Amino acid sequence: MTPLLAHALHQAALAALAAAGFGVLFNAAPRALVFCAAGGALALALRTLLQDNGWSLEAASFVAAVVVTLLAVGVVRRWLGSGATAVAVAGCIPMVPGAFFARALLGLFALTAPNATGVDQTLAVTVVAMLRVVFTLGGIGAGIAISLTVLRRREF
Amino acid sequence: MRHRDLEQIALIALRCARLLMQSGSNGRVIHECGALLARSQGVELLGLRVGYASTSITLGRDGNSITRMVTVAGHGVNHRLDQAVRALVREAARTGMTPAEIGTGLDALLADTPRYPGWLVAIAVGVACAAFSGLFGADDRAMLATLLASGVGQAVRQTMHRRGINVFVIVAAVALLSAFLGGLGARLDGSGTVDLALFGATLLLVPGVPATNAQVDVVDGFPTLGSARAVSVLMVMVFVAVGIWVAQILLGMQT
Repeated sequence: MTPLLAHALHQAALAALAAAGFGVLFNAAPRALVFCAAGGALALALRTLLQDNGWSLEAASFVAAVVVTLLAVGVVRRWLGSGATAVAVAGCIPMVPGAFFARALLGLFALTAPNATGVDQTLAVTVVAMLRVVFTLGGIGAGIAISLTVLRRREF
Repeated sequence: MRHRDLEQIALIALRCARLLMQSGSNGRVIHECGALLARSQGVELLGLRVGYASTSITLGRDGNSITRMVTVAGHGVNHRLDQAVRALVREAARTGMTPAEIGTGLDALLADTPRYPGWLVAIAVGVACAAFSGLFGADDRAMLATLLASGVGQAVRQTMHRRGINVFVIVAAVALLSAFLGGLGARLDGSGTVDLALFGATLLLVPGVPATNAQVDVVDGFPTLGSARAVSVLMVMVFVAVGIWVAQILLGMQT
């Protein structure tokens, strides 16, 4: 197994756990949990592979959100009906850029601390992290929203 | 059709709309619900306004019209209840159920829709947050601390929610508790990624569904509802940040 594939599988396994866990929190039916896990795994595997091939986090997240949502609404809907939309959302949740958000948050705290040092560098790191959070979340949300609009189905 | 009959249809449509909003549906779903119910009852839907804190509907027939409004509070995500309400509305439209019968059906759904036991939700949330931490690059010790801290945080959140405490107070308190336990546990266990455990333990509070709904609502032509959701999401994140900040101070990671 190549290191690239191993990395993608590692990310996919963790994402499946995260998506299924959030599915339980959202009170999804047991059958839907399987699809949540599969959606999370697919999203992270695809995003990881794209990033490993030089794509930015934001672009890779957008494409992964589009693919997962299209599959959920176009295919999973056969088994779950209108509940497929929730599967798409749960599947995309593991792509939330938490590490960058943590970095941005910690940077903001450091900037506002008394006797802050290295302000210029901290500011640059913080702003970059914050922008990546905004753009990535925007990419995920846009990927879901656009796909739902393109494959518009009656909800009832 | 009498005015009183229009009122009963309006009130049952609003009850369905409120339940869907509280279960995590977006604006378009609620509009489709209102239109379907009105059509199946033989009345014209003259207007439906879906807001974040209230929903109103105007129905008309034979020259009579009526406008009614309900407040909406307690936004959450309950996938099975959401799907059950949709199924009931479909069934009502197909079979021509009366408003009273739909109301009885909603009562039954509220009583009978299954939920996972609290302990299972706490464990699932713990596993999810630990997996999230792993995705960020946390080491095994930090992931274990995250699992335990976020599981405890979820249990406390459920207890506070049952007591009717303000949702933003719950967010700040749970963020503080989970971050503190996650950071402390990771530090005591000798983790090299204490900050990721501290942050990862608060991820149960990230409002993923409302954030997605906010964008979907704007795209679907409900900018007011979408904006209200976005502000709510932002406020949740501010309160999460406050909790993390205090936890860092308590752990001596912040001055």
